[in-house]
Amino acid sequence: MKKKFHKLGNKAFQSLILLSAIVLSLFFLIALGNVVWRGLETFPDLLMNPEIGFAVRLSLFTSITATLICVLFALPAAYGLERFRIPFRRFLTVVLNIPLSLPPLVSGVALLLLLGNTGFGEQLSRIGLQFVFSVKGIVLAQFFIITPYMIKVLRSAIAEIDPKLEFVARTLGCSQRQAFFRVTLPLCRNGLFAGIIISWSRAIGEFGCSLMIAGATRMHTETLPVALYLNMSVGNLSTAMGAAVCLILISVVSMLIFETSSSFRKKQGRLE
Amino acid sequence: MIQISDLTKKLGSFCLEEINLSIEKNEYFVVLGPTGTGKTVLLETLAGMYRPDKGHIHIGDRDVTFAPPEDRRMGFVYQDYMLFPHLSVRGNILFGVDHRKVPKARREKKLTEMATLLRLDELLDSYPQTLSGGEQQRVALARALITDPEVLLLDEPLSALDPASKEVFQGELQRIHKETSTTMIHITHDFNEGMLLADRMAVMMDGKILETGKPAEIFQRPKTEAVAAFVGMQNIYCGEVVTRGEGQYFCSGALSLRVATEFSGPAKAAIRPEDIIFAKHKIESSAQNILRGEIREIIHGGTFAKVILDVGETLTILITKQALEDMELEKGKEGWAVFKTAAVHVFK
Repeated sequence: MKKKFHKLGNKAFQSLILLSAIVLSLFFLIALGNVVWRGLETFPDLLMNPEIGFAVRLSLFTSITATLICVLFALPAAYGLERFRIPFRRFLTVVLNIPLSLPPLVSGVALLLLLGNTGFGEQLSRIGLQFVFSVKGIVLAQFFIITPYMIKVLRSAIAEIDPKLEFVARTLGCSQRQAFFRVTLPLCRNGLFAGIIISWSRAIGEFGCSLMIAGATRMHTETLPVALYLNMSVGNLSTAMGAAVCLILISVVSMLIFETSSSFRKKQGRLE
Repeated sequence: MIQISDLTKKLGSFCLEEINLSIEKNEYFVVLGPTGTGKTVLLETLAGMYRPDKGHIHIGDRDVTFAPPEDRRMGFVYQDYMLFPHLSVRGNILFGVDHRKVPKARREKKLTEMATLLRLDELLDSYPQTLSGGEQQRVALARALITDPEVLLLDEPLSALDPASKEVFQGELQRIHKETSTTMIHITHDFNEGMLLADRMAVMMDGKILETGKPAEIFQRPKTEAVAAFVGMQNIYCGEVVTRGEGQYFCSGALSLRVATEFSGPAKAAIRPEDIIFAKHKIESSAQNILRGEIREIIHGGTFAKVILDVGETLTILITKQALEDMELEKGKEGWAVFKTAAVHVFK
C-alpha cells in the first residue's frame, strides 16, 4: 500500500515538473509568437522601409564591432584571471562582473559622466573618439555590457583545459606565448565561439546603456531596439513590430547556433 | 649529470624537503615512494613548473634552477599522457619540432625515426581519443624524445596500463633507454617496476629522500624501518644485538634470532616473509633459526597465502596455496619457522 503511494507521489512530482516546463514554454512562445504574427503581416513592406533598413545595418555594424573589440580584451583578461597568480584576483573578478548585475541605464549614466563634458572626454574627442551622441558611443555601450559575459564564458572554457597541457608544451620548447596560441587557444575555440554568439546577441539587443550615452536619434543612433522604442512611443505600431520581429529572429537564430555548438561540445566531452 | 642540491618547495600543505640527488648521464634512475609523497611535485619542480624555495638544480654545468621549462631540455611524460586532443598523433609527435625552424626533410626523417622506435607508423593519422592507453603512452614518449631532451622525466608511466600492457611497456622503456641513451628519471610506487628498470633508485616518503642505492641493495639491505616496510619486509622487530659465546643474537622480547651483523646494542631486524620456510614438524636444516609457534591466522591470497605464526612475536610467512592445502593448516595448530642467518637483516 505504502509502495503504491510512493509510486503515485513520484508520478505527481514528475508531472508537476513537466507541467511547469510546458507552461513556461507556452507563455514565452505565445507572447513572442504574437509579436511575430503581427509583425509578419507588414514584414515584406518593412524590408523596403529605409528606417528599419538603417536600424538593421547600424545594429549589425555596432554589435559586430563591439564583439570583436570585446574578444580582444576579454580573451587575455579571462586567460590571466584563470591561469596566473594575479594579485587581487577575487577583487578584479568582482569588478569585472559588476556590469552583469547593474541596470544598463546606470552603466550608461556612468559612461556619460565619464566621457561627457569632462576633461577626459574632451581629450578623447580631440583624437577622434567622440562617444557622446554618436555611433562610437553605441559600440562603447555594447562593449561595456557584453564584456563581462564574454569573460565569464571564456574563463569557464579555459578552466576546463588542463594546465598541464600547456606545461607539457613548454617542456617541448614553446614559450608561454607559443603554448597559449598552440594549445590553449585551439582547445578553447568552442568556448570562444559560444562566447562570441552569446555576447553578440546581447550586444544587438542592448538598449538602456546606449540610450544614455548615444541617445535615440532617428536615422543617426537608431539601432533596432531604439527603432522599436521610438516607433512605439509615437504609436507607429507596424514599424515597431518590424523591429521587434528582426530582434526576435536574430535571438532565435543565435540561440539555435549556441545550443547546437554546446551540444556538440558536450558530445565531444563524452568521447574524451 | 644532474645534480639536485637541497631542493625545497612548499606547496600548500605539502613540502619537498632538502632533496639531494645526483644522477649520472645515461642512467635509468627510479624514484620510488608511496602515493602522495610528492614524487610528481619533485618532477614538476625539476622541469620548471614550480620555482623552488631553496636549493639548486644543475644539468651538467648549467644551472637551471630558475630557467623557464622551455630552456631546460627536459622531456616530460605524464601518467595520464597529456596528449594534445586537437592534434593527430603526427601533430603531437612533431609538436616540439614545429616551432623550431627544422628543414622539412629533417623533420620527416625525425618523425619516421620516432614512429619506428615507438612502433607508431600505423597510427600517425589517428587522434589521441581513439588510442588505447599503451598507444597514448608511446605517443607521449615519442613527442618528448623527438626534441632530444637531455633528461626524460617519467611520471608513473605504467600505472594507468593494464597488467599485460604494463609488462610489454616495461620492455619498451628498457629498449628505448638503450637505443636513445637518454638519462631517465622515472617515478613510481611499484617496487617491482623499480627493481626491473632502475640502474639506481631513491626511496621517497613525506617529501624526503630516505635512501639512495642500487635496487638490490635497497631490496635486501634497507637502512630504515619505513623503507624496509615499503619494500615488503613484513617482519620488523625492535630489540638489541647481543653476543653469546661465538654467536651473535638479535633479541626482542621472547624472540631470539641468530644473526650476522656488524652492529651491536639496540637495533632493528627485518625478515622477508618469503625467506622463511614453514614446516608442520621440526625439520633438520642447515638454517640456524628454527622457531616453534602456534598458527594465529591464515590470510588467503591468489596464489600465495600468509601464515601468521606466534613465536613469542608474530611472524608472517608466505607459502603457496598448494602447500597450504597439502599441509592442511588450521588456526591454532603448531608449526615451525625455518630461516637462515642471512635472511635476518639487522639495521639501526
